[in-house]
Amino acid sequence: MSERGAVYDLGYKPHEGPRLGRGAAVRVTVKDGLRRMFGLRRRARKKILPFLLLGIAVLPAIVFVGFLFLASQIATGDFADTPFANHAAYFDIVAGTVLLFCALSGPELLIPDRVEGVLAVYSSRPMTVFDYLGARAGALGIGVGFFVLVPQIVLYVGLASLRDGGFLTNLITNAEDLFQVVLATVVYLVAYGAPAFLVAVYAKRLAPATGVYLGAFFGLQAVADGFTSTGNRLAAIAALADHPGVVRDWIFDSTSVDLVPTRADLAPWVSLVVIAAVGALALAAAVRRYRTLL
Amino acid sequence: MDAVVVADALGHAYGDIVALHHVTLEIPPGRVGLVGANGAGKTTLIRILLGILDPTLGSVLVLGSDPQRDATAVRARVGYMPEGDCLPLSQTAADFMVYAAELAGIPGKAARQRASDVLTLVGLHEERFRQLSEFSTGMKQRAKLAQAIVHDPDLVLLDEPTAGLDPEGRDEMLGLIARLGGFGINVITSSHVLTDIERTCDWVVMLDGGSVLREGPLTSLLDTDTVEIELFDDPTAVAETLNRAGADVTVTHGTIAVQVDRDDTYDLIRDTLAAANVAVRRMGTRAQTLEDVFLRSEEGMP
Repeated sequence: MSERGAVYDLGYKPHEGPRLGRGAAVRVTVKDGLRRMFGLRRRARKKILPFLLLGIAVLPAIVFVGFLFLASQIATGDFADTPFANHAAYFDIVAGTVLLFCALSGPELLIPDRVEGVLAVYSSRPMTVFDYLGARAGALGIGVGFFVLVPQIVLYVGLASLRDGGFLTNLITNAEDLFQVVLATVVYLVAYGAPAFLVAVYAKRLAPATGVYLGAFFGLQAVADGFTSTGNRLAAIAALADHPGVVRDWIFDSTSVDLVPTRADLAPWVSLVVIAAVGALALAAAVRRYRTLL
Repeated sequence: MDAVVVADALGHAYGDIVALHHVTLEIPPGRVGLVGANGAGKTTLIRILLGILDPTLGSVLVLGSDPQRDATAVRARVGYMPEGDCLPLSQTAADFMVYAAELAGIPGKAARQRASDVLTLVGLHEERFRQLSEFSTGMKQRAKLAQAIVHDPDLVLLDEPTAGLDPEGRDEMLGLIARLGGFGINVITSSHVLTDIERTCDWVVMLDGGSVLREGPLTSLLDTDTVEIELFDDPTAVAETLNRAGADVTVTHGTIAVQVDRDDTYDLIRDTLAAANVAVRRMGTRAQTLEDVFLRSEEGMP
C-alpha cells in the first residue's frame, strides 16, 4: 500500500441538523439590522456616525452623574433633584441624536435590501412580509433603545446612589421612573422611526433619503412654528419633531414651554394621535410596497 | 418520488397582460429546464412557486405545499437564484453566506460550516473575505448560486443562471448546475438559452406566450422518427428501392432520410442496404436540438 497521502473529493454534505424556522429567521434579521445600523462587520467609515451619535447621547449622562457625585462629596444638599439631570429633561438632550440616528438608520435598514435585490433571498427563506418589516422595525427599536435607555439607566443608577435612603432601596422605590422612560422611548421610536421608514420605503438612495427625512422634519417644524405664532393653532399638528416631547411631558407630568404644540395649547392626546397616525401610515405604506416584492 | 411541482390550470395576469394562461404541468424530481423566449412567463411562474405572486387562476403545489396558503412552508425548503442582483454589496461573501444559511434556520455553527463548504464548492473559498462589491460578474453569479444552496434546499430555482457570463464562466456555471442533481437537490433552471438546458437538464418544460408548449424528458423531445443514411456511392438506387417497398423516403444533398412510421422500417433499411451491397458512410437517428423542437412546436409541428 502506498505511504503517500491522498486527496479525496469531499463532495457535498447535506445538512442533517435541526432547522430553527421562522422565529430564528426573524432573530437573525434583527441582528443583521443592528449590524447595518452600527456598521458592524462593515468598513470603518460605516461605524463613525452611529458611534459618534451614541457617544453624544451617552456622554452627558456620565458627565452629569460624575459632576453630581463630585458635588455631593464637597458640599451638602439634594443633588439628585437638579433640574437638568432628570429623566424627562434628558430626553431633550438625546432627542436630536435619536432623530439623526433614525434619519441614517431607517434608510440603511430598508433601501440596500431593495435596491441591491437582496429581497429575493428573503423570498426563498421561511419569512413573510410582516416578519421582515417587523424584524427591521425591531432592529430600529433596539437601536433607539440603546440611544435612550443606556444614558437613562446611567442616570437612574447614578441618581439612586446620590439620594438618601440607600442605593438598593432607591433603585426599587424609583422603578416607576424606568417604566416612564421605557414608555417615552417607545413614543420617540414611533415618532422619529416611522417617518424614517416611510421615506425609506420609497427612496432609492441612502443620502437623499436622509436629506428628505431631515428636510421634512425641519421644514414642517418651521412651518408649524410660523403659522402657530400668527394664531393658527392647528398648524402645530405639523410640528412632528415636537410631538414626542409633548407626550413625554404628559408621561412624566413635566412641562416644556418651548414645544410648538404646547404653545398652541393643543391637548397632549392630539400629539399622541398624530404620532400613532404617522406610525400607521408608515406601516401601511411599507406593507403595500413590500407585498409584491417579498 | 412525488412531483416537485404540480400546477393545475394556473394563470396570472398583470392587469390586462396575461403572463400565464392555463398552465397545467407536473414537474418530476431531478434537473428540469424551463425554457421560453423573454416574456414567456418563466419568471412569473417562479415568483408564483415562491409565493411572491398569487395566481389569479388555478392552483399550484410546490414540494406538496401550497405557496399561496403556506408560503413559509415552501420557502423553508427552496433556494432561489434570481436573474438580477441579490447580493448585499457592503458585506463579505462569508458573512452573507452565513446570514443566508441562518435565515433558513440553520444554527450558527452549522451555518458557518456550510457557508465555508458551499463557497469552496462554487470556487470562491479564496475570495470569501472580500466585499461582494469587489466581485466580478462571474464571481457574483457563483455567489448567487452559493446563497441559493447554502441552506441545503430540496428544490432550487435558478433564473437565467448564465446571464452576463463569458464563455468560460458560463461553462463553469453549467458544470456546477449539472452537479447539483447529484447532491440530491432538485433543480428548476429557467433559461432562454436552449443549449444551456440541453447540457444541464433531463426534463424540459417549454413555455410560450404564457402557455405550456411541450414538456417531457429531454431525450424523448430530442428523439426524431427519421433515420438518416449517407452512402459512399450514389444514393438514388437505394432510395428508390426503399420507396418501392413502401417507406417514406426523401433525399437531400446525398443523404437519404427515411421516416420510421412502421414496425419493420429498421428491418427494411437493413435488408435494402445489404441487398444493394453499398458502403455506408453514416447511419443514425436524425439529430435534433432543443431549438429545433422549440421552433417546430411554436409553428404547431409535432
